[in-house]
Amino acid sequence: MPLLRDIKGSFQPFWVTLRNMFRKPVTVQYPEQRPELPERYRARLILTRDPDGAERCVACYLCSAACPVDCISLQAAEAEDGRRYAAWFRLNFARCIFCGLCTEACPTLAIQVTADFELAGRDPLKLVYEKEDLLVDHCGRQPDYNFYRQTGIGVTAPRGGNPGESPPVDVKDLLP
Amino acid sequence: MPTLTIDNQQVTVHDGATVFEAAEQLGIVIPHFCYHKALGAVGACRMCAVTVHAGIFKGLQMACLLKVEEGMVVTTGDPRSVEFRARVAEWQMLNHPHDCPVCDEGGECQLQEMTIAGGHGRRRYRGEKRTYNNQQLGPFIAQEMNRCIQCYRCVRTYRDYCGGRDFGVMGSRNRVFFGRFQAGPLESDFSGNIVDVCPTGVLTDKTYRFKSRHWDLQEAASVCPHCSLGCATLPGGRYRELQRVRSGINEQVNGCFICDRGRFGSSYVNHPDRPRQARLAEQPVTVVDALQQLAGQARELIETHGPEAVLLLGSSRATLETNWLLQRWAAELGCRPPLLAAHTPRHQAARVAAFDLADRLASLAEVRQADLLVLFAVDPLAEAPLLAVALRQAVRNGGRVLVYDPRPVELPCEFEHQSLTVLQIRNLLAEETVESTLLRELLDRAARPVLIGGGDLLGAGGLRHLQRLATKASSALRPCLVHPVLGGPNSFGSALLSPPEPGEDDLLTRLESGRVKMLVCLETDPLLEAPDGERFADTLTRLDELVVFDYLPTPLSVHATLFIPSTAPVEAAGSFINNEGRLQLFGRVIEPGLPIAVTGGGDHPPREFFTVTPGSDPQPAWQLLQQLLGGRADLQAVRQRMQVALPCLAGFAELQPGGPGLRAAAAVAPGRFEESLPEQPLGSLQLLVTPARYGSDLFSRYADKLAPRFSAAGIILNPQDAAERGLNAGERVILDTDAGSYRLPLTCHAGLAAGCALVENSAAFPHLVPGGELGFCQVSAEVAHD
Ligand code: SF4
Ligand code: SF4
Ligand code: SF4
Ligand code: SF4
Ligand code: FES
Repeated sequence: MPLLRDIKGSFQPFWVTLRNMFRKPVTVQYPEQRPELPERYRARLILTRDPDGAERCVACYLCSAACPVDCISLQAAEAEDGRRYAAWFRLNFARCIFCGLCTEACPTLAIQVTADFELAGRDPLKLVYEKEDLLVDHCGRQPDYNFYRQTGIGVTAPRGGNPGESPPVDVKDLLP
Repeated sequence: MPTLTIDNQQVTVHDGATVFEAAEQLGIVIPHFCYHKALGAVGACRMCAVTVHAGIFKGLQMACLLKVEEGMVVTTGDPRSVEFRARVAEWQMLNHPHDCPVCDEGGECQLQEMTIAGGHGRRRYRGEKRTYNNQQLGPFIAQEMNRCIQCYRCVRTYRDYCGGRDFGVMGSRNRVFFGRFQAGPLESDFSGNIVDVCPTGVLTDKTYRFKSRHWDLQEAASVCPHCSLGCATLPGGRYRELQRVRSGINEQVNGCFICDRGRFGSSYVNHPDRPRQARLAEQPVTVVDALQQLAGQARELIETHGPEAVLLLGSSRATLETNWLLQRWAAELGCRPPLLAAHTPRHQAARVAAFDLADRLASLAEVRQADLLVLFAVDPLAEAPLLAVALRQAVRNGGRVLVYDPRPVELPCEFEHQSLTVLQIRNLLAEETVESTLLRELLDRAARPVLIGGGDLLGAGGLRHLQRLATKASSALRPCLVHPVLGGPNSFGSALLSPPEPGEDDLLTRLESGRVKMLVCLETDPLLEAPDGERFADTLTRLDELVVFDYLPTPLSVHATLFIPSTAPVEAAGSFINNEGRLQLFGRVIEPGLPIAVTGGGDHPPREFFTVTPGSDPQPAWQLLQQLLGGRADLQAVRQRMQVALPCLAGFAELQPGGPGLRAAAAVAPGRFEESLPEQPLGSLQLLVTPARYGSDLFSRYADKLAPRFSAAGIILNPQDAAERGLNAGERVILDTDAGSYRLPLTCHAGLAAGCALVENSAAFPHLVPGGELGFCQVSAEVAHD
């Protein structure tokens, strides 16, 4: 019955509006009122430091490989002590879709999401963050992990000095 | 020819094949670590386990070791073998440092792949991890021994295949260590290959350290430009920087390996002084204006001064297409046909290879299979490094190597060295002597003889005699092949495009005639790449215009009145013909432009955005010539036209980069013997100019990665000759040649034939160029200045 349906269709929206007029509003008066975001909300990314205070990022390129929109670019370099680090690290928030895949790919827990979503601006170039803008002075959500104290190539600890490692062998030893 | 069944598919293979090879034929890749097709199987890793259901040895077997039998039934996905391989991957990981994020192999690591394929994700073993101390292995190779899985591939490559002596395996039980007895730079000229073969990140390319991940690299099948052999390579670049070179595979040429010159010599592409801007009389201009200027001037000069006024010069490092288009442009302008090489003697030697020897050229694959190899005036490690490795394979297969050379030749295999002067070698080839009769007998008895001749010292005349010797030593049953070693990566191609003409004159004769008003040098610098650089420099003042197209910061490009930047071989597709006439294509790896490492100064790339890439003016030389010709055809169309014009290039247009390439066979056209060997003036020494192993060809001279291997300038004499002249090793002596006098420190070497003086052409001593006419010199003590 198209006629009946049309009449119903004309009045029902008024009814919905009327019903909701007496409900408690859900709108948050941002920015006067701050929204309460869930703890695991995914917004601005940061590069964290390890518990010893050194940069966590080892410039492994995994985040840039994982990123579906290719907004991370970086260049690895080697420090005097053999530590691998990012000479530069650029993240384009104008392109980022905040999927968090980079943080899942990161083997050192360096790149992490924060709940800071207030990134809007008029100049897209301001959304291109460099390493200085991304690097923070804390460990983020993972306070205890230190890649170089788990991995056995002796950058932070001496060779063979990490947990579960024996000291370097004497290769010229012939004892059984 | 047994037939067997693998994973329910039947395959027939040759006798003696292994199950691994049979599976490969079916397209089934069995997981493996220690097997490598160039190195064979040793059964060290146990990764290639398969299940044999019918056959003599039933049950779990190692596919790389198990010979195929008739009626065998094998499965690779049987739960037993899958489980076994997963356990192997797990114990390979027992001592692994878990540092993939900081490992350069990550992303192209066989251990990563096998571990993931085996489903191993959590370490169950609770014991301690074994660790090692690393060694410094020099400027090219970085070592991280904690990642080693003891597959022995590195030793098998370094020692067994390439003949290196200073890298090996030592230690006992689970302390087995792969390295040198003492830390120090690896001595072999083929050391880089251990990077390619190591299936984990123990041995990585130090010059590429932390630069990129494999998945970010732009790669394309390419051909090495550093010598005339034309080995297959896989260069890789990122951010407009050429970052590394891996070995490509060409079974007919290099097999699976390349030399260190080819691998680490690629950084010329990123040279900081590389000219990237067109210049007219020192002022920057656009390429379009520069080309217009060039075309206008050339036409005008020809109209006023005749066809001699414009001289076009091609090159043995320019591509085949470029050289051919240069000929077309000359025809269109109406000037004389271009010279396709600045170095006349080398060009003539290459013509002998292209025309006289056309029907008996041996590939490196044939060298590897030969049973008798006779080298005449070739020092492989200096002139064609991978030839030395090919000779080693021949010796490993039971072949015999004889070397006639004045220089103290070193080879990574057993060989018999006859230290003869160049004149003696040429006499040996030209005349019937006792020695040559003995040689003929040896050759007649050999089943697969190959003669190898150095174009530089033998010259065109010597190579023709070599051809005559090969003809005599050939029989109806088997030919005697020749493997000539030439000057540049496309020497053969330049020669093939310019058959010898009677009454031809060379570059210097034409320039000195004074009729040339404009010289156009296409990717060549005769100051560095031709003998008599100084005579050439003198003629430059007589020119009105000097036009240079190049991608290297050569001294000539500084003198140019009009300079037009062209692209390096990795920045554009093209083709070279190697020393045995093999036409090989290479693809474009990276686009030209200033590397981001330069524009960003090592920090973040600039935050300004342009529509054009900085420094991207260089264009492929063939494209520049097309614009001069007013044509629009792409490279493919040019190749099509070339194969129509030149029947010997049939199939050119269908060829792809990678793969074995194509023999460009010209009709045999024997040249004339015009042999009159010069007389050695009394008291003089024969002057031998040899390329330094590193830094002689212009590509490696501009490659900073090779700098640690560059040699210092010096002269070498036989101790007897030095004593006769009252000279002592270590002091500076005066070398007097036709080209000039030079002060050089003296070294004495008993391995050098008496009556010769040896100098190396390199960045430190660019004055004398290899491959000139046979010359003589005087060496005397330095006169003390009062
Ligand atoms: S959150 Fe997603 S889109 Fe944003 S940088 Fe990470 S991977 Fe890329
Ligand atoms: S994945 Fe993590 S460690 Fe690797 S480059 Fe990205 S931020 Fe750095
Ligand atoms: S160093 Fe590499 S190639 Fe050599 S045994 Fe160890 S893993 Fe194998
Ligand atoms: S042998 Fe010659 S062509 Fe082959 S890699 Fe070495 S330099 Fe390049
Ligand atoms: S590949 Fe067969 S045992 Fe290693």
